[in-house]
Amino acid sequence: MSALAAPSLATVAGAGGHAPQRPMDEARFESFYRASASGLWSYLHRLTGDPAAADDLLQKTFIRFIRATPGFASEEHMRRYAYRAATSVAMDHFRETKRRREVAEVEEQVAPSDSADLRHDMSRVFAELKPRERALLWLAHVEESDHEEIAEALGLRPRSIRVLLFRARKRLGELLTRRGMAPEGTR
Amino acid sequence: MSENCIQEPLVRRAAVEDRWTDALRQHVASCQDCAAAAAAAPFMTQFARIDARQRALPDPAVLWLKAQILRGSAVAERAARPLNIAQMVSYVVIAAGWAGLLTWKWNELQQWVLRLTPASIVNEAAGAHSSMSATIVLAVLVLCSLTVLLGLHAILAEE
Repeated sequence: MSALAAPSLATVAGAGGHAPQRPMDEARFESFYRASASGLWSYLHRLTGDPAAADDLLQKTFIRFIRATPGFASEEHMRRYAYRAATSVAMDHFRETKRRREVAEVEEQVAPSDSADLRHDMSRVFAELKPRERALLWLAHVEESDHEEIAEALGLRPRSIRVLLFRARKRLGELLTRRGMAPEGTR
Repeated sequence: MSENCIQEPLVRRAAVEDRWTDALRQHVASCQDCAAAAAAAPFMTQFARIDARQRALPDPAVLWLKAQILRGSAVAERAARPLNIAQMVSYVVIAAGWAGLLTWKWNELQQWVLRLTPASIVNEAAGAHSSMSATIVLAVLVLCSLTVLLGLHAILAEE
């Protein structure tokens, strides 16, 4: 997968890039952080499969976010930029560590809980997907982003998202079938 | 065609809640995108509900401060860039000066060094006899001074 360059605001202009920018101050940042940090952490965690890496990458994402510009036009513009930055730092992380195959092992180190077995199985399945497939599925199903937003977050063309998402879903479906976790009742 | 199928949200909800209507079943049978979405949706929904976070999120005030510090460092780095370039250029110029002088006047300098004794230094200082041209002496003095100055600057800047 090609690495993403650091996102520029021009690439996330769809959500109000032409509207006047409001300055980013500490209060505005804190408000945005409270609303988005948890979701971004989950996204980074599911991409990397490593809670410690997600902690680290979340900080990098927000520091990149603050340093990017003195202002954003809207909350949606901020959200899109943050997801693009998060994807970019996650891909940098993959390039640096080259440990995509170790994700399942990292998951095993997580402290057990009541749902440890289920979580373990689900994490293993998800870790078998490629990072871009994980990002596509997470953004489409959990963040409920449309194709344009997904394309912005991943630095891809919107036209290619439909095919890529279809392949990612199909691959996940195959993995679930192989492990006997596939849903029933669609037929 | 880059848009979602308009039925996709309904299909996903039906798959998650396992509540299918005949119309949706028929649609899924004929729409590959929705069939794939239906296969992935229950897993993704359940997976998203698992909260794996063990530590609290970092304080936004700390992140804000960190970003400001990094921004300040970046500004300082940008401001220092011309000075660093000037320093590198001066290293190159002085090294080239020494190389040029030694190449150009190597024989003359070699002979001067070989003849160098305390008595000859005294004689030359008194102006009785000069074994080297004033231009070379001046060039050597200037290059020596510049080398010492640059060395001191590098040491003091580092400290």
